[in-house]
Amino acid sequence: MGKYILQRLARSVVTLIIVFTAVFMLLRFMPLNGYFPQEMIKETDEATRMTYLRNLGLLDHPFVQLWRFVQNLFQGDLGRSITVYPKVPIITLMAEKIPTTAFLGFWSMLVGIVAGISMGMMMVRYKNRLGDALGNGYILFVRAVPSLIYLFFLQIWVSRWFSLPLVYDKDIPSSWILPIICLSLSSVAWYALWIRRFMVDEENQDYVKFAYVKGLSRKEVLRRHIFRNAVIPITAYLPSDLLNIVAGSLIIETLYAIPGTGGLLTTAIKRQDNNLVQVLVLMYAALSILGVFLGDLLLALVDPRIKLTEEK
Amino acid sequence: MENTLNRIDKIHDSALFTAADFDRAESERIGVSNYSYWRSTFRTFFKSKLVIVLVGLMAAILLMSFLYPVISKVDPTKVSTRSRNWNLRPSWDHLFGTDTLGRDIFARAWYGCRNSFLLAFCIALSDVGIGMIAGAIWGYNRKLDPIMIELYNVMTNIPSTVYLVLLAYIMNTSYLTLFISMASRGWIVEARFFRNRILSIRDAEYNIASRCLGTPMLRIATRNIIPQIISLIIMEAALCIPYSIGSEVFLGFVGVGMPVDAITLGNMVNQGRASFTLHPYQMLLPTAVLCLITVAFYIIGNRFADASDPRNHL
Amino acid sequence: MNEHKGPLLLSAKDIVVRFNLRGQELTAIRGASLNVYQGETVAIVGESGSGKSVFTKTFIGMLDQNGRVEAGQLLFHGEDMVRYDSEAQWLKVRGKKIAMVFQDPMTSLNPVRVVGEQIAEVIMWHFQKSHEEARQETIDLLRRVGIDEPERRYRQYPGEFSGGMRQRVVIAAAIACRPEILICDEPTTALDVTVQAQVLNLIKELQREMGMSVVFITHDLGVVANVADWVAVMYAGKIIEYGEAEEVFHQAQHPYTQALLRSLPQLGVKGQDLYAIQGTPPSLFKEIQGDAFAPRNPDAMKIDFLEEPPAFPVSPTHWAKTWLLSPEAEEYRLGLKRRDEQRKAAQSPAPPFDYAQAEPLLSVRNLSVHFKLGSSRVKAVDGVSFDIYRGETLSLVGESGSGKTTIGRAIMSIYSGNVEGEISFKGQKINQKLSKKDRGRLHMEMQMIFQDPMASLNDRAKVDYIISEGLYNYRLFENEQDRIAKVEKMLEEVGLTSDFMTRFPHEFSGGQRQRIGIARSLIMNPDFVVADEPISALDVSIRAQVINLLNRMKKERELTYLFIAHDLSAVRFISDRIAVIYRGRLVELAACEELFARPLHPYTKALLSAAPYPDPALEKNKTILTYHPSREEDNKNRQWIEAYPFHFVYATEQEIEAYRDESK
Repeated sequence: MGKYILQRLARSVVTLIIVFTAVFMLLRFMPLNGYFPQEMIKETDEATRMTYLRNLGLLDHPFVQLWRFVQNLFQGDLGRSITVYPKVPIITLMAEKIPTTAFLGFWSMLVGIVAGISMGMMMVRYKNRLGDALGNGYILFVRAVPSLIYLFFLQIWVSRWFSLPLVYDKDIPSSWILPIICLSLSSVAWYALWIRRFMVDEENQDYVKFAYVKGLSRKEVLRRHIFRNAVIPITAYLPSDLLNIVAGSLIIETLYAIPGTGGLLTTAIKRQDNNLVQVLVLMYAALSILGVFLGDLLLALVDPRIKLTEEK
Repeated sequence: MENTLNRIDKIHDSALFTAADFDRAESERIGVSNYSYWRSTFRTFFKSKLVIVLVGLMAAILLMSFLYPVISKVDPTKVSTRSRNWNLRPSWDHLFGTDTLGRDIFARAWYGCRNSFLLAFCIALSDVGIGMIAGAIWGYNRKLDPIMIELYNVMTNIPSTVYLVLLAYIMNTSYLTLFISMASRGWIVEARFFRNRILSIRDAEYNIASRCLGTPMLRIATRNIIPQIISLIIMEAALCIPYSIGSEVFLGFVGVGMPVDAITLGNMVNQGRASFTLHPYQMLLPTAVLCLITVAFYIIGNRFADASDPRNHL
Repeated sequence: MNEHKGPLLLSAKDIVVRFNLRGQELTAIRGASLNVYQGETVAIVGESGSGKSVFTKTFIGMLDQNGRVEAGQLLFHGEDMVRYDSEAQWLKVRGKKIAMVFQDPMTSLNPVRVVGEQIAEVIMWHFQKSHEEARQETIDLLRRVGIDEPERRYRQYPGEFSGGMRQRVVIAAAIACRPEILICDEPTTALDVTVQAQVLNLIKELQREMGMSVVFITHDLGVVANVADWVAVMYAGKIIEYGEAEEVFHQAQHPYTQALLRSLPQLGVKGQDLYAIQGTPPSLFKEIQGDAFAPRNPDAMKIDFLEEPPAFPVSPTHWAKTWLLSPEAEEYRLGLKRRDEQRKAAQSPAPPFDYAQAEPLLSVRNLSVHFKLGSSRVKAVDGVSFDIYRGETLSLVGESGSGKTTIGRAIMSIYSGNVEGEISFKGQKINQKLSKKDRGRLHMEMQMIFQDPMASLNDRAKVDYIISEGLYNYRLFENEQDRIAKVEKMLEEVGLTSDFMTRFPHEFSGGQRQRIGIARSLIMNPDFVVADEPISALDVSIRAQVINLLNRMKKERELTYLFIAHDLSAVRFISDRIAVIYRGRLVELAACEELFARPLHPYTKALLSAAPYPDPALEKNKTILTYHPSREEDNKNRQWIEAYPFHFVYATEQEIEAYRDESK
């Protein structure tokens, strides 16, 4: 087992290095305008601009820049925002914004798991009947319709029907409801879809038939065998989900004007703030690699089959 | 009664207790006959009324979106300078009304459909096409495994939204860059999907049989492998369409989508959103068309996948 | 009544089961009846599709969703279980009173739960016992079914058990509630012969101890002979003959039962055709008139096609549904019997293969094949050497995972890179890079026949293409007409008609598909054929057809076979020499009769003693030798020694002496 963890860790580190390098190189192609604060864009001549860029080290070889960035990173320095929050250290910015996003994200993740798994189980329980059809309809809707569209209408109409606030306000708890629900909509569909699919797959396995032959009731078989086995592959995604709560959602945070990290990337791009874009993108990439790594570890922990093949 | 008597006669009729003719063909006869994979797939697929309706509807929308720009004289970009032509509600002259600049939304919707379809088709073609070829090469070369898996991890570890936004930001937006940013990522997901399928087909006994017969690689691919995965290709291509339209809407929202003057469904939805509170029809009608298309393709793709599974050929 | 050991437990009367498949009605069971008495074993014999599994599934209400019992009664403890309409009613019977064991132990257990819990849950559920009590009982059960260190094994996952051990666990779970009836659905088919014999013994012991009744479903007549008190022969959804095991084996009356027994390779005369049942089992989608077997029975009478025969008693304990037993058919029956005796007298065995004159066609020297499994390297074949002489059939016998298929595939150059040693064909080394021309010649001269007739044909291609594939590759035809003529001729040779050409493989039965596979290989006109378990996936009634076809082709086309098998009965009939392989090593190689008469290596002995033989008297009293590889720890001094002329064993000098003494 220890060997497996080490191997897996090594692979993740390699991936992380590659992704970091690739993304960093890619980011060198960002429009140069994005490095200039507002006041400099309008009335600066070419020479001054070049000096400015050189002073920032942006004309150095990309690998030199990467090395500098990594060094700073280890000292906890993520650089400073340029246009969005001029001169504010990004680390301060993040520390300020992450709690809001993570708070909403955490609750929406809970809602997503609980509602999604219950929905998937209900669909299996009433397979090919009304409950299943409704669930499938929901999944279909969420997955096929572009999220922006239904999120937008949800915001406009539901807030009107239930007289909920249209935008987020950290002091008004009722304004949290809609964002949390909206954040969980797609993960509810995701969990329901996979729980249903895995459970239906498991239902056709011989060991399930044998469990029925042993005289266990359907409820018992669903609980002890089918559900247990269907949840295993899903556990691999839990760490990713958990980490992603700090990333937030671009669309939802923009729609509800939530001062979190999700809207930050949109704003940074719209306002052409290269430093901020860079840090955010790298952060997302790092989080998802970490998530996949933890997911694999968790899976190896709960699924004895992996341990066995590794030992053989 | 008569039957019984008849029967009693027979079982005492010694003429019947003599050798019967033996028919070899009869002894080889078996139950299932005339089974053809494709016929069964399409029969299963079109068994559902919903599928028939959706396929018909999509055919009509496709036809319309490619014919309308040819036959109609309405210019979707024609801006009216007179304010009385702005923001007209739907009427016989303007079926979907006009937008804030007096452009005919009905005409724009069809042009938008056409452009979005074209973009989606290109993406579907490249994702599935490149994905399939890469997947086949990947599946047949064990040595590629570590590199490709790492590449897959790298490309999919970055959230797709972040990736799209980033690329769209770096490149100036146009049809081409939108295509590049979506297609550069989509193929690897498809490649992995096809690689897994091809891995299981590769070691099937009938493929080993072909190798023992000295069948060249090309014929193995066209005869043994492609027929097995063609249904997957169709399904994946169908599912690419809602995905690419959805991505386009998303990018438009973020502000790095198509240039404002391009007519696409994504742009129409985003532009309509701005004036939604005052003139809801400007957003609702194009949105309805867009949702119809994505939902229909999603259902068609999934139903086709179900129908192409021989286990469902009941 | 007095002929049975105990009282009647379960009585199934005129059960009719229908399925809805592709919108068509399939009548799987057409009025089958069976009585199960306490403490007895009744074996239901039949080929796939005969309905034997479906029939017994009705006993516990486990039909698939698209199937239903349409008529009949299932009396158990005074209740008609056909009328059960709620899960709760079945739960009182299922697993508690009537339990079942499935065919494949590898998939019968939940892979992510420890085995002990999977047994304990039955006890907790049916007897409302505490977890601790259930755990204790489970440990006792595990010990009882022959699992060492049950406390430790309780906490292990199924992946940590071998196939035979898993089947023991499954049996433990099935008997946990001390059921009155245990239904065993081909419980040993997926196991190796040596393990099969042990599991059969376990079932018999448990039955005796617990006084259970056992309903044993199998297609293997050797297994039937081993376990059954009573035998019910099932064909096309009906039981057509029923009686005490001895009677059914020695005085079979129904033409189908007779044909089944006669077609067994154990009873064949070497060098002669086996008796083979013609054709393919009937389709149950259509209404069957008369005797369902009539179309395949060359000696059928006219009445067989018109009326369904009733059950004619043969003795108080034996009946059969065939018109042959009707008084009107007396004369016809005697005629058949006379003809049969003449036929038997005419058969004389062929002379053994003459090795003094033989020239080697294929030589294998020090062949090793290794695979990567995760991060470790596994040696599947370890230093194997042998020759195959032109015109002989060499059989490679071993259990699953012994490396026999790997050897076959290595010879066919299917692996690349991981093969060491030398394989030469007609004097030329072939496991190296060859010119395109040489490789092409090899493809024409060496061919392979595969095990699984379902997987070995491309189901998206028509038969025409499948058979022509090799012709296309090397353009072995002049024009389209010539190609079609060749395919038609080949189909004819394997006993199929040319109108099958335009069809897809789905439309054929297993035996027909296997014949198509043989046609595909032989159309290349090879000299040498690797036949990788070509009959083990086939039904008993079909095996003889394929064996005969292979033998006929060998004679007509002067072929040389490497026949890979685990089934010793067919091997003895078909081969000139036998090589026994154990864990990637050849352990013994000798001429066929020599090996059966004088096995030397303890593994060979174990294998021979475990092979089931279709005679209840012999089978029930046989002693099974077990092979303990621990005794055979890797000994570097072992070598390939000729113990007797042309009889080789892998052993040390001392062992050889011991083996020789033992065999005297």
